[in-house]
Amino acid sequence: MTARMVLEGIYTPLITPLHADGSFDLDSLAALIETLVSAGVHGLISGGSTGENYAQSVDERLALARFTVERVAGRLPVIIGTGAMRTEDSLALAKGAREMGADAILLGTPPYSVPTERENALNALAIDRAADLPVILYNYPGRMGVEMGRDFLDRVGRSRNVIGIKESSGDINRVHLLARDYPHIQMSCGMDDQALEFFAWGARSWICAGSNFLPREHVALYEACAIRGDFDKGRRIMSAMLPLMRVLEQGGKFIQCVKHGVEVTGVSAGPMRPPLKGLNKDEKRALEQVIGVLKTSVAAITEGN
Amino acid sequence: MGDLLTTAEYKAIAATLELPQNAFIDGSFRPAISGKSFTTVNPATGAALAEIAACGAEDVDLAVSKARESFDDGRWSRLHPAARKEVLLRLAKLIERNSRELAVMESLDSGKTIFDCETVDVPETVHVLKWHAELIDKIYDQVAPASDDHIAMILREPVGVVGLVLPWNFPLLMLAWKIGPALAAGCTVVVKPAAETTLTTLRVAELAVEAGLPRGVLNVVTGSGSEVGEPLGRHPDVDMVSFTGSTATGRRFLHYSADSNLKEVVLELGGKNPCIVLDDAEDLDAVAAHVVNGAFWNMGENCSAASRLIVQKAIKPKLLERVAAHAREWNSGDPLDPSVRVGALVSQAHFEKVSGYLAQAVKSGRIVLGGESHGGTHVAPTVVEVTDRDDRLAREEIFGPILTVIEVARFEEAIAVANDTKYGLAASIFTANGKRALRGARMLRAGTVTVNSFGEGDITTPFGGYKQSGFGGRDNGIHAHDQYTQLKTIWLDLSDHADTALD
Repeated sequence: MTARMVLEGIYTPLITPLHADGSFDLDSLAALIETLVSAGVHGLISGGSTGENYAQSVDERLALARFTVERVAGRLPVIIGTGAMRTEDSLALAKGAREMGADAILLGTPPYSVPTERENALNALAIDRAADLPVILYNYPGRMGVEMGRDFLDRVGRSRNVIGIKESSGDINRVHLLARDYPHIQMSCGMDDQALEFFAWGARSWICAGSNFLPREHVALYEACAIRGDFDKGRRIMSAMLPLMRVLEQGGKFIQCVKHGVEVTGVSAGPMRPPLKGLNKDEKRALEQVIGVLKTSVAAITEGN
Repeated sequence: MGDLLTTAEYKAIAATLELPQNAFIDGSFRPAISGKSFTTVNPATGAALAEIAACGAEDVDLAVSKARESFDDGRWSRLHPAARKEVLLRLAKLIERNSRELAVMESLDSGKTIFDCETVDVPETVHVLKWHAELIDKIYDQVAPASDDHIAMILREPVGVVGLVLPWNFPLLMLAWKIGPALAAGCTVVVKPAAETTLTTLRVAELAVEAGLPRGVLNVVTGSGSEVGEPLGRHPDVDMVSFTGSTATGRRFLHYSADSNLKEVVLELGGKNPCIVLDDAEDLDAVAAHVVNGAFWNMGENCSAASRLIVQKAIKPKLLERVAAHAREWNSGDPLDPSVRVGALVSQAHFEKVSGYLAQAVKSGRIVLGGESHGGTHVAPTVVEVTDRDDRLAREEIFGPILTVIEVARFEEAIAVANDTKYGLAASIFTANGKRALRGARMLRAGTVTVNSFGEGDITTPFGGYKQSGFGGRDNGIHAHDQYTQLKTIWLDLSDHADTALD
């Protein structure tokens, strides 16, 4: 009997720290990884959209992923994002993930081409075959233009590798659908402002960009809901986190906020790659204030336990 | 089915097969919820074929709930009979179109010979499904005799959600024997194939959806008896279980039913089937051909295998000589070689069980032929004579290519020996005396008795056992439909109640 990878806990999609000239700041990435490992997150993702994968070449992405796998050195599972416009690039990333010893891949829909569910499924199965690793699907219709619907999910079921789905649609009906009809696909929260709802419907993991800079607070929510089933406490923690979620999910500057959040922790995150620009002074101040209040509130809730 | 290919061609097909690996629930493939899997191997080579979903009680729950949902909303059970017929006919056609792929898959997974898969298992599967499909809109309900003031209708309604638990000896064909009438009747089903042989069941489920079977109507849950079979047998929302397999497991299903919701249980179990050859039998050469076919077809892995040859003393030497001559033609070897008649036993574990009997045969019995095992899980066709009628070789179901010979003096003794068993699935009697043939056929306590031949009848005739070979219903024939339906009486009062009505 072989057992599949179990998604339990907080998985951080790493940002990519950059120097001022746009090159990778690997020292800062190493520092961020160490911070997250010691903060108790449960897994790391290299090459997700939070890592600005869309602005990197395949070689760059593979180099970043390899660096991450080597640096983590087996202390946590490392998942490699394979999302790319061109299938060929996704296949190269998938093969690379296998060769470098990654634990799983995060498999999204290719953006812009708007494939049918069948086309998307066949594409996903090809990428899966190239990696032959556990696969976490990534449903993100907001950015990809199409959803991983029933037809897609039914077809990718041909593969045993498909173990989970990062659900980032924001549609609560999808949570119900996945929980009831696809219990074999581990549902992972990919919509930060709905984390409590995901946990209530049985999700055991949360892939959350905010954990780049607030790992302990995210772990606190996971532990309250998924480990202890204490949803009263979970609701209080979530309530304290919601102002941040509003900034992140509803503010339109998601990655910029996450990168600045990392800066606030003392790890250099650097600028964005074009076309995105960093936060302005007012936005930074507002975010810092939200982070400060959040940390104080969550600490009070967890200590009052 | 076209002409047989060469071994090399079959191997080339085998190399390109895309083998299914996941359970099939609610119209789609999905891994076990636990994510566990087990390896299915080619018994002829020991090589791993595929990682199959090792389902558990939670997967059974899901499959049953989907089958229930699809039964209750009537997407299949209340579909027009003619429309149900069309879907099943399309399924038969799709199986036919994919017959070569299915034959090779079946041979790889079970060790059965490609010859049998191509010439019997797959074409029979198609035939069986077509036959049941054609019956759907041709079975009429009844109106019972009643007074002028009443009409009494007797309707057949589908039982509901049915668990179909399959054996590993005829994976495709037993699937067809069960889903044919069950789906024809309008039931929705959860199929549990044997853990050893899951591949073709999964492929057929996929084809069924392609044929237009609504999602949730045919679900396949893969895994072991303890993890899948038992939860299915105990499930409170399963209305009926139809099981083909060992008597011991059949007994368990009765317990599961008694412990849960008193679901109906239909059992088709083991056999130790007698083949009586009387001294007036004509054409001993032809008889010997039947005997050998009855004993060694499908490696003897057949609940109706004629595994006990009961022969009158006078003709025994002649008959055994001819049996040995015919048996030598049943060459054992690579199942993908189309000239091979005896393939591999289904698994290492089963091979070891049969080898135990073989060792005893060599030690205690008189070996007429064979007696050895070789390469992989192969056992050569073996004929052994026993003098002690209580010998386990003469009493226990071996499910391997071992034919036990018992000598008798008279007709009555032959019948008595034949009936001296806890089983009663099939029997055959060879004699040129018509009266003795018919008397014998009536005296033999078995569900099917063949005269001057070995066989099980065909799709038009019911198949099932007496005694501990099973009960509760019959596979095949129109009778197979009965077990998947229940009777409802609708009694209409047509009288004018004006006289008695209160004002």
